[in-house]
Amino acid sequence: MTYTYEGMFLVDNDLVRADWAAVKSLVTGLLEKHGGTVRSVRRWDERALAYPIKGRRRGTYMLAYADLPGESMEALKRDLEITDAVLRYLILRADEVPAEEQELAQVESSADFELPAVPDDDEGEYAPVQNVEATEDEESEEGEDASGEESKKKEEPVEAAAASEESN
Amino acid sequence: MKSRHQKKPAPIAGKDEAIDYKNLELLAKCLSSQGQIVSRRRTGLNTQRQRELKQAIKRARHMALLPFVG
Repeated sequence: MTYTYEGMFLVDNDLVRADWAAVKSLVTGLLEKHGGTVRSVRRWDERALAYPIKGRRRGTYMLAYADLPGESMEALKRDLEITDAVLRYLILRADEVPAEEQELAQVESSADFELPAVPDDDEGEYAPVQNVEATEDEESEEGEDASGEESKKKEEPVEAAAASEESN
Repeated sequence: MKSRHQKKPAPIAGKDEAIDYKNLELLAKCLSSQGQIVSRRRTGLNTQRQRELKQAIKRARHMALLPFVG
C-alpha cells in the first residue's frame, strides 16, 4: 500500500555549506530509490541543536512529503541509518501534503532562490524558538485571571506560529 | 481556610490548533525549566490532547528540537 509520509531530516551543516543541492538530491534520491514519489522537499530551518549529535551543535532540517509504499519503510530506514549526511530522521504518516508546504517547496526550487547563509562556526545558543525574535516568558500564567483576558492570549500564539512558518 | 478547588487553567492549545512537533512556540511552553513535560493541571488539556502533546514533545526531542534535560 502506498501512503503519504512526512519526513524530517537533520543533515550535516558541513555538507550543506559545501553543496546544498547535492544534499537535497541525496535525500530525495533515497526516497525515490525505495519506490517513493517526492511531493515536496524544502529546507525547514537551520538551528542550534538542543544537544550535540555526532559532535555537531548546529544542523539543517529538511522537511519532505512523499508517497511511499509501506513495505519499503524498513529498507529506507536502514539506508538512512547508514547515510552519514543524515544525523537524525523522523518519518510519519501524513494524511495529505499541506498546501502551504507545496508552495514553500516551489519557492525554494525556483531558480532565483538563494539559500540563507549557513553559519561558519558550530556555535550558537540553543533556544526552543529560534530565527524569530525570541520572547522568553515561561511560567507567566497561573490561570487565575478572568477568562476574557486568557482567550485573548490564546489568539496570539496561533498568529505567531503562522508568521514563523512563513519566515522560515 | 484553604480553598479546595483551584481553577483549571485555560487550555494552552485551542481546539483547532494542531499539537505538532514542529510547533515549537507551543511545545516550549509545555516544558518546565528542567525540560520535563508539564502536567495536565498546568496545561489545561484533556487526556487526548495531553497525549498528543506528549507524543509531539517526544518527537521534537528525538530531532534535537527540544532538550531532554535542562
